[in-house]
Amino acid sequence: MKKRSGKLEGSSGNTAISIILSIVAILYLYPLILVVINSLKSFSEIMTNVVAFPKTFMFSNFTKAFEIMKYPHLFLNTLTVTVMGVSGVVLISSMAGYKLSRTKTRYSWLVFIFCIVPMMIPFQSFMIALVKVAKVMNIINSIYGLGLIYWGLGAPLAIFLYHGFVKSIPKELDECAVIDGCSPFRTFFSIIFPLLKPVTISVIVLNAMWMWNDFLLPLLMLSGAQKSKTLQIAAYDFFGQYKVEWNYAMAGVLLTITPAIIFYLILQKHIIKGMVAGAVKG
Amino acid sequence: MASYKKKSLRNALEFSAFTVPAVITILIFVILPFIMSFLYSFTKWNGLDKVPKFIGLQNYIELFTDDKSMLDSLVFTLFFTVAMVVVTNVAALLLAVLLDRNIRGRNALRAAFYVPNIISLIVIGYIWRFIFSGAFDSLYALTHAGIFMLSWLGDPKIVIFSVVIVSVWQAIGFYLVVYIAGLQTVPKDVIEASYIDGAKSIRRFFSITLPLIMPSVTVSVFYSIANALKTFDVIFSLTNGGPGTSSTTIALDIYKTAFSENRFGYGTAKSVILFLIIMVITVLQVTVFKSREVEV
Repeated sequence: MKKRSGKLEGSSGNTAISIILSIVAILYLYPLILVVINSLKSFSEIMTNVVAFPKTFMFSNFTKAFEIMKYPHLFLNTLTVTVMGVSGVVLISSMAGYKLSRTKTRYSWLVFIFCIVPMMIPFQSFMIALVKVAKVMNIINSIYGLGLIYWGLGAPLAIFLYHGFVKSIPKELDECAVIDGCSPFRTFFSIIFPLLKPVTISVIVLNAMWMWNDFLLPLLMLSGAQKSKTLQIAAYDFFGQYKVEWNYAMAGVLLTITPAIIFYLILQKHIIKGMVAGAVKG
Repeated sequence: MASYKKKSLRNALEFSAFTVPAVITILIFVILPFIMSFLYSFTKWNGLDKVPKFIGLQNYIELFTDDKSMLDSLVFTLFFTVAMVVVTNVAALLLAVLLDRNIRGRNALRAAFYVPNIISLIVIGYIWRFIFSGAFDSLYALTHAGIFMLSWLGDPKIVIFSVVIVSVWQAIGFYLVVYIAGLQTVPKDVIEASYIDGAKSIRRFFSITLPLIMPSVTVSVFYSIANALKTFDVIFSLTNGGPGTSSTTIALDIYKTAFSENRFGYGTAKSVILFLIIMVITVLQVTVFKSREVEV
């Protein structure tokens, strides 16, 4: 009897927590709700009352922000940088992580240390010299140059993750493939790489979110170029310019953050799937 | 013997083919600029000169004896870091404990708290500039609560609170995920045993759950310290270091020194100092926290 009442208490406690947390969550997201509401208002309506619901929906704010930001062009630029950066990081890091994990020599261990130590170096402590390097290599003010630089910045963490995961893949697989006459590259790409999928997904998610949202590196690398900007740089310019016209600025905010939110909502399923699979295994 | 040599040559070639692309990109875009930063920090260099002029320790001497902006930004960054690390981790851990329970709608709630973490910090800064100015005026008209009338971005004494609020708001989602993952590793039987022993829930948290999730605490505190010490984007768009220089972080100070004042050599000296500060603080933190971790 006592146990049952305890359980009941627990569940009513849980309901209370659930209600309180829901209220907290709404307050927590209130700033974003205000962004959505005000992106649909006219300028004069924002000036009279920010928190009120819009009387008429001004979808023209979005078309205007879309035009001023040159949205499709910048979207494509940002996508190019992100895709180039992410695929490069996945390719070079999975190859290196695999080989470094499989080769058990002192030299291999040293190379591994060399590859992962940069995880500890904060970007701000070498950014000035990095600009110099990019200038000398003549890859500054180019979105492809920016994508390439992300390879070097993203590889250390990715190599670390791949290196750890490869240990869980039996070495016999490689040996069988070699006996069957597979070249080392073929062995890696058609047998090992598909097995690395869980890490590959993490590496893609982590790097895509970072590269899409990154501001400081694009600011340093692309500030001299009018044509090759990313969304974050454009957002910075745009809000600086339209500081007072909040209706356009808020529409611009939504246009800038929507792709990342859609990406998150799609991949959230993957993350949850992975977690459920892990739970079943455990 | 010859075939052995051939085989080891082939192994070496294979090893290089797999690792060289990564090694070269890391070398060129991280290691090389990092070493260059150290070297440039002993020079006077405006970014345009072909050859920077070697001036020995002069940059470092200026930095420690004659640079109020560096000292101010250092003090601001340290205060900001302490506040940010404490508030973020306490709030995220509390939320994680509540969201780890079997409550209704917990997946939706977890997702809700994570949303700000998906948005770029530069945009976060702008959103909050709008909230602090436009929205707060309307909220004051509605509620007449004094906090909405404070000059959140205009008063040098208050601005640190604004920056902490915004940064914590953005960061919590990430640490929440780390802590929830940690809580899921706590064995059920240990918790059940404590029920039988009659431990109260607060006591249970501090003497059982918390020691068991110390690895998550170590990781979260490490990340939050490192990120707070490097803060740049959100300040750049929220306050641009102002009013005056009252919310300038070290990273922003480095950026301005190098790219606004064109003192590249001096900027690299500051960036070397930032590197050392981050290294010392995080190594200390990890050592202390690791010693508190327990095995199940």
